[in-house]
Amino acid sequence: MMINRAIINFDKSILDQIHNRSLELLQDCGIRFPSEKALEVFRSKGFRANGQTVYFEEKAIIDALGTVPAQFTIKARNPEKSICIGGGDYMMAPGYGPPFIIETTGEKRDATLEDVHKFCKLVQTSKCLDFNSSIVVQPNDVPTETAHLDILLGTILLTDKPLMGSTSSEVAALDSLRLAEKIWGNTNDPVMISLVDSLSPLQYADESVESLMVYAKAGQPVVVHSACSLGTTGPITIAGSLVISNATTLAGICLSQLLNPGTPIVYGLGGSPTEMRTGGYVNASPEDAKHTAIVTALARYYGIPCRSQGALTESFCLDYQAGMESAMMMTTAALSGVDVSLHTCGTYGSMLAMSFEKFIADEDLCGSLKKLIKPVEFSEEAFAMDLIKELGTSGNYLMQNHTMKRCRTAFFEPVLSTRAIHIKWQQMELREMDKRAGKILADRLSSYEKPDIDPMLERDLVRYVEQRKGV
Amino acid sequence: MTVKEIFDAVLAFDEATVTGKTQAELDGGTDIDAILNDGLISAMDEVGERFSSGELFVPEMLMAAQAMKAGLAILKPHLSAGQSQSKGVVVIGTVKGDLHDIGKNLVSMMMEGAGFEVVDLGVDVESEAFVKTAAEKNAQVIALSALLTTTMPSMESTVKAVKEAGMATRTIIGGAPVTQAFADQIGADGYSADAPGAVKLVKELVA
Repeated sequence: MMINRAIINFDKSILDQIHNRSLELLQDCGIRFPSEKALEVFRSKGFRANGQTVYFEEKAIIDALGTVPAQFTIKARNPEKSICIGGGDYMMAPGYGPPFIIETTGEKRDATLEDVHKFCKLVQTSKCLDFNSSIVVQPNDVPTETAHLDILLGTILLTDKPLMGSTSSEVAALDSLRLAEKIWGNTNDPVMISLVDSLSPLQYADESVESLMVYAKAGQPVVVHSACSLGTTGPITIAGSLVISNATTLAGICLSQLLNPGTPIVYGLGGSPTEMRTGGYVNASPEDAKHTAIVTALARYYGIPCRSQGALTESFCLDYQAGMESAMMMTTAALSGVDVSLHTCGTYGSMLAMSFEKFIADEDLCGSLKKLIKPVEFSEEAFAMDLIKELGTSGNYLMQNHTMKRCRTAFFEPVLSTRAIHIKWQQMELREMDKRAGKILADRLSSYEKPDIDPMLERDLVRYVEQRKGV
Repeated sequence: MTVKEIFDAVLAFDEATVTGKTQAELDGGTDIDAILNDGLISAMDEVGERFSSGELFVPEMLMAAQAMKAGLAILKPHLSAGQSQSKGVVVIGTVKGDLHDIGKNLVSMMMEGAGFEVVDLGVDVESEAFVKTAAEKNAQVIALSALLTTTMPSMESTVKAVKEAGMATRTIIGGAPVTQAFADQIGADGYSADAPGAVKLVKELVA
């Protein structure tokens, strides 16, 4: 008997079913857009609307999917760090949105702008992270209405990797574009990516829709993402969750393409269990991971790039649970072929807190997965047939040039994980993982160097932010 | 001993039996206070305890609350003004700018189940609406919910508005990013990390 343990057999008929049932919801239930600006767009294009609910016919969805590009490149301030999404590589960004920091003592405290800056320095010096988050943490020591300006300015000045634009409001999205314009001028080339989350079930919040509209009009890429808590904001079954969230995501994609056909989109869909003893949101579960695998197949079905959750955990410390859950989520994403993940470094319990030490640990996980998914080389040299025949049973491969040439590059080398023998491990000054991570963190921050920037541009960016903040 | 059967039916989430037995007891002339307190409300106290200990799951607790409310609806027309229809009035809502309502709904259902009259103002609620409704309903407690860090300032402005209106109504807050420290900072009268805790808090505040 053939055993098939794939989470989803890539049976097109299942994907057809999810798609057709999503269309049924789009036609029969519609999606709520509580934004007059969005409703006006739909009405002007002849969509059926009832109050704030818009109904979608199959043709509108198929037309929209037809104009979404299969891949696109986001420019970085340092051109060498520009990233291609949909080209086969797995692009990673750190935590997104937590308002708290959890220290190694277990204490939880409000995140600050200084924490944002520290995380930016870690992103800049990270070997595995490809782009920045627009809210790596939500700083509590600056006014909420202008926090996006402080975060964006810090990110632009402290890193030269690609940016995420803010979606906290329409104004914040416009501010993000204005700051980008100062760097790249008035351009339609993608220079940032943004995350637009729906509000389950079957609706969007006004600030999300209006941010989506700002970015779509400017031709800037958007991750359109829907997710429900299974059994709370959506059906308890994965099949039902897929249909309800797919319908919502497709409606958002449709709006983006109505405004500007060809707007780069990353397809996003997730689903997390409800903790049935409290009603709380739980992530980092086998059910989350199943969504990741199936959603990747759906994105391939639609021919557009795909986003998944990252190194999530419900744990609050650097323990077995944190590592196990993060690894399950990330490994599933990596092996399923996800293009983009947010939350890949630093996230603790239900995405509500960040940890600097977990960030360092997750980098080892992300780095090892990037190595895992790298295709194995099957060249003549890699098979090493001549060498195998020459050495036979007596060979010491350590003494060969074939080994020498590759000994520094052949294997993934963890920064944090230990590979010491037991006696050395016992003798280590910092044996606990969080303490070793703390040492690496301190070294990283002390050796950080700010990337070059034209002083005129820096002044211009600072001036814009100060003016907007009324300083 | 069918009042006990009403109690048992609430714990079995069996709405049809709760309404059937409640009606039968009422028709049979059983003391209404006994049906209300020994049947319905004490059953919900037991549900609350089983939920807090992790024995009951949320959907089960909600179904029990729904069964209890169905029984209560039968009794309501027969309750005199002096008979305690509720333990107090709570005005609840998700604050201005925030559309998340799962936690708020859970707290609302649990409070109703515990015997409070709950006025749910929904989501994206202005400070003035909380103040106005609390005054109209003579509410003892205003319960504020927020999921977004960006809408937490709306909690502060609502608490301030309640104080400025010179009302005796107490304010409590909850939601994933909210903490006791934040409650203290904005001068709210209480904070709870979860729904059962919110019910306990309200019971203490109205005691």
